[in-house]
Amino acid sequence: MEIRKPGLGAYITATYPNKVLFLNAVKCLSEVSDFLEVGIPTLNPKYDGPVIRKTHFAAELKGLDAINVARYGIIPTILMGYIEDYANRLELVAQVASEVGASSVLFPDLLFEHIDRLEDYVVTMRNYGLRPSFFVASNTPHRLVNLLVKYEPLFMYLGLYAATGIKLPLYIERNIREVRRLVDGTTLVAGFAINSPEMVRLVINAGADAVVVGTALVDKLGNGEECRRFMMELRGGLA
Amino acid sequence: MIPHYWYNINVDLPKPLPPPIDPYDGDSRIALLMRILPSELLDQEFTALRYVPIPDEVRELYARIGRPTPLFRAVGLERALNTGVRIYYKFEGALPAGSHKLNTALAQVYYAIKDKAREVVTETGAGQWGLAVSLASSLLGIKATVFMTRSSYMGKKNRVLFMRVYGADVHPSPSELTKYGREALRARPDHPGSLGLAITEAIEYTLMGEGRKYIPGSVLGFVVLHQTVIGMEAIKQLPEEPDLVIGCVGGGSNFSGFSFPMIGAKLRGEGFERTRFLAVESEAAPKLTKGEYTYDFPDTGGLLPMVKMLTLGHDFVPPPTHAAGLRYHGAAPALSLLTREGIVEARSYGQDEVMEAARLFARAEGIIPAPESSHAIRAVIDEARRLPRGSVIAFNLSGHGLLDQDFYERIVG
Repeated sequence: MEIRKPGLGAYITATYPNKVLFLNAVKCLSEVSDFLEVGIPTLNPKYDGPVIRKTHFAAELKGLDAINVARYGIIPTILMGYIEDYANRLELVAQVASEVGASSVLFPDLLFEHIDRLEDYVVTMRNYGLRPSFFVASNTPHRLVNLLVKYEPLFMYLGLYAATGIKLPLYIERNIREVRRLVDGTTLVAGFAINSPEMVRLVINAGADAVVVGTALVDKLGNGEECRRFMMELRGGLA
Repeated sequence: MIPHYWYNINVDLPKPLPPPIDPYDGDSRIALLMRILPSELLDQEFTALRYVPIPDEVRELYARIGRPTPLFRAVGLERALNTGVRIYYKFEGALPAGSHKLNTALAQVYYAIKDKAREVVTETGAGQWGLAVSLASSLLGIKATVFMTRSSYMGKKNRVLFMRVYGADVHPSPSELTKYGREALRARPDHPGSLGLAITEAIEYTLMGEGRKYIPGSVLGFVVLHQTVIGMEAIKQLPEEPDLVIGCVGGGSNFSGFSFPMIGAKLRGEGFERTRFLAVESEAAPKLTKGEYTYDFPDTGGLLPMVKMLTLGHDFVPPPTHAAGLRYHGAAPALSLLTREGIVEARSYGQDEVMEAARLFARAEGIIPAPESSHAIRAVIDEARRLPRGSVIAFNLSGHGLLDQDFYERIVG
């Protein structure tokens, strides 16, 4: 399943704030998003900002058990986890992802701290009928980005800021343009601190194919109507 | 000709730089950066550009202070060593504050003023950075407050004096002005200070008042970025590609500034294929040779985000040394990564062998080198004696030592 362009994705941490509300959120967000990113709760969400960190710590279940409470796939669904937690269990993650109907597993720490596992990761994804996808920062080496594109990933995820949900005074349009140039026709998804239709528009106009909202959604997850309304408001930025 | 661009090596590194992270306790340090740093510097820290334009105003300032700095053939040193190795050095001590530090001080103060700051706050070890910030602030018409490690404050009285001549407020660190300073003094009344602690004090002081911006002297990516003006000039000035490039390392900005444009060319396959790069540190703070590659705080108090670097631990207090500018627990993340990858070699020297090198260089070249830069000179001498005749060494003489009376008094006895 490809990511719709322009598209809006939603990030949620599995079983946050609890299993029931998470399942409700998956159902609701599947109707108002173009794709879903589901975080595998971890004890060490080190690249995340304070809000997403709390969702990891407060999730009712931890690890892949939390993923297994739902079936996904109405819209493209990508699992997100830290490869640090699964260094010797990549196959297991891929198997679970495949069984629950996910299209890919995104590991934000793969390139930064476990690049020696890159080939392993790509092969494992493919062996389970999944597509690789890669998380990059604005200053990720250009040659590496060029190499990643050759793996034909489902998408490249550009983290716009240093951590999820923390907006810094960066020229994100320029950074998106630069990365767009490097990834060429590969689907480019951007996220971190997306919280308004204006920002969605800015990111899409700068060259991203899709955006993901996460932190700004957290306090709306308990209320389906509020969550739906917020996503519809953000969708206004895609037009 | 002053370069039009600084060079960002992050986008050419063999592996991506791990992002800064927050610890799990307390408020977000990443969010804190927005309150304390000039905004343009934050953008430069994460830029996707390989070449970052130097603003015209900063280029004009570079011209006013005497950039480009000269690249000399070390004729006298070559003659003294008589090894048949050709030696070149870039002389950053030619700048009016006496060291390379002015390259980023001018840029950072410029960006602070763009953010409507009325005062810049910083830390300093030996005083070279503090002096550069004081000078830059004076040129650009803004107040500077400097926290200087106590051991240097006592030993480098001339630098304290000249910082004050430029109009800066200078405080020995640990000081009574901040919570962290008071705690350190309570724990150890004779605390010699450390750069890490002085950084913490400077940040705390920045947050205590309005209109203040904190500007750091080393380690962070944008500091290294500004210092690449040295290497960008050197590439144009060097008449031949060196076999070996050498610089000293405190936090890593002078070594990186000099070598990164050349390392970048090598990584891209655009020259310097046979060049080796050697970073020289003090045995008093041997992070490159003995440090651990891990996430750590750049400052003792843990007010800044953690970065992945070679580090001796943020609470490491280096023993007092005359090369106070090298007394720092960590090395810039990009330099740490390149060292880990074996692209940069590292070596540490003790004080006595460095003093001997400083004396030899002063007598052969006529320039009194800074104690920090003398570490690089020590390596140049040792390598010149090892390399085959006809080899070429280039090094960065990051500063002069005319204000390092304590160091030279020990040399002449």
